[in-house]
Amino acid sequence: MSVLSLASQHAPLLMILAPILGAALAALPMPARASWACAVIAALASAYFAIDLGQRTLLGGAPLAHYGEGVALAPDGFSIFSAALTAGLGALTLLAAGALAKGLNRRTGPLAFALALCVAAGWLGALAARDWFGFVLGVETGWLAGVALAALRGERDRMALSAAMRMLSAGAAASALLLIGVALIGRAIGSWELGALEDARIVTPGLASAGVALTIAALALKAGVAPLHLWAPAAWGRAGALALLVIGVVGMVGALAALMRIGAHGLGAPAIGGGVAAGLAALGALSVLIGSVQAIGAATLPRLAAYAAAAQAGCILISLALGSQAGYAAALVQLLALAAAALALLAGAAAAGGAHMLAALDGLGRRAPLAGLAFTAGALGLMGAPLTIGFLGRWRMIEAAVGVGWWWAAVAAIAASLAGVFYGGRLIERVYFRRANTTIEAPPRWGFAFAPALVAAIAATLWGVEPSLLLDSAGAAASLMLGAAP
Amino acid sequence: MAPFWLAALVLACGVGLTLIGAVAAWAGANLVKRLAGVLIAFIGALLAMAALGAPAPFLAAGVALMFSHAGLGLALIVRLQESYGGVESTEIDAEDRKAEASERMP
Repeated sequence: MSVLSLASQHAPLLMILAPILGAALAALPMPARASWACAVIAALASAYFAIDLGQRTLLGGAPLAHYGEGVALAPDGFSIFSAALTAGLGALTLLAAGALAKGLNRRTGPLAFALALCVAAGWLGALAARDWFGFVLGVETGWLAGVALAALRGERDRMALSAAMRMLSAGAAASALLLIGVALIGRAIGSWELGALEDARIVTPGLASAGVALTIAALALKAGVAPLHLWAPAAWGRAGALALLVIGVVGMVGALAALMRIGAHGLGAPAIGGGVAAGLAALGALSVLIGSVQAIGAATLPRLAAYAAAAQAGCILISLALGSQAGYAAALVQLLALAAAALALLAGAAAAGGAHMLAALDGLGRRAPLAGLAFTAGALGLMGAPLTIGFLGRWRMIEAAVGVGWWWAAVAAIAASLAGVFYGGRLIERVYFRRANTTIEAPPRWGFAFAPALVAAIAATLWGVEPSLLLDSAGAAASLMLGAAP
Repeated sequence: MAPFWLAALVLACGVGLTLIGAVAAWAGANLVKRLAGVLIAFIGALLAMAALGAPAPFLAAGVALMFSHAGLGLALIVRLQESYGGVESTEIDAEDRKAEASERMP
């Protein structure tokens, strides 16, 4: 048996272990460039194992395996799809971070890359965990590493410290609720295995419902779902380019995927499924409404991205609440669309010299064509414009919603797209149809390291043109989640 | 095995402490009070977990989480005190708003 095939058998463990080992190496005192190289190799290895697992299980039909020796891992359909996405995003953001390494000194550089890897490892751990213990540890590792990463910018900008403090205190309250929620679920079902929720004979549905509600609320706060996203605009706005990329893309997608995983397990439990669906739908509708309104009025790019992400996350939660195979698949497609849009906007902003003010985007299409193109792709994806993956996600959501008679959900999807036309259109108008304002223009910080992230974001957005591979993967992941063969 | 009424009482105290702590952590006017709120919320959560019969490794993880939040929070408060000259969150927010407004001026 070759080393690679042996490694493939343990892909879930290795996709988590690679960034943890990489973080330990990257944290050694060395020049920021060397630390970045260690981090990139670890992130690429993690992405390889996660994508290999996804390819074998979702497209190749390999059976799901439980890994109970030493570290208890049991990835399910959602885990496998979203772990490949999260690990891929981790690799792309760390590649892009190479262009930002120049701005980091010998002390903070290694620490920043190590923390970025810890964010990815934490959320991957939560996605693959077999029991609640591993899940909570993964969530908290990812979250606390994100807080520390945001605080690193404090040396240059003291507002990063207050944003990190806000993130910490909000996240800590959520963590305490998460602990209680998990304990309530464990008590109600008599097991600490994550997958046991669906099969358990629940004699105290009130206790289990309260536990799932607290767990979902805690994860929604960490994912920046409105109205629990109060920490997000400040943290996204002040965290610095590297931390913004990591928290806003890897952290947000990881947290949303973890929320989807728990939501799907809750929906699968007959005794509490109805209540979980109602809660997810209500939270999703609120997030679409509040996120869209706030995104339309946002004054800075990170705030706009945070609010737009909340609106898109709302659509994902509504799709999830449908509880059907079509709804689950639509939620996964929209998760990918959101990841592509967030990567395009945030990596584009970093490539454009860390443009925060919307006015700094004026004339960007001429100054930095690839960044301008990425902005356009991200904005079109948020709108759900035809031929983009955003459109595909919305279309699938509407189909799934109408299929079960949830007309209001179809209306929410259309409303989110209409709001996206306002705020996404405003971005495109600034990038291509305005003259650069020399007093606030940020100089493009072009580095070849941004290219993979920008090209991948554009390509992912245009995946809507020929989506059969994506739809097959999402459909297989949804089927696995519902207990059927892919 | 503790009697049911005792477990229920501890659970109620734990949930109550968590809610009080969470509110203090979200809305405290002083950052030290916010951190105290975080600690109270975690202590409440640990009590509730114990009352619900959570296994020992879970409780140990909860304690570790409490200390990691406390350590990180304390470090942040020290740096905020050095940077802003105080730990009143209202004053820090007012200074941040002022700085953001000046950044938006063309």
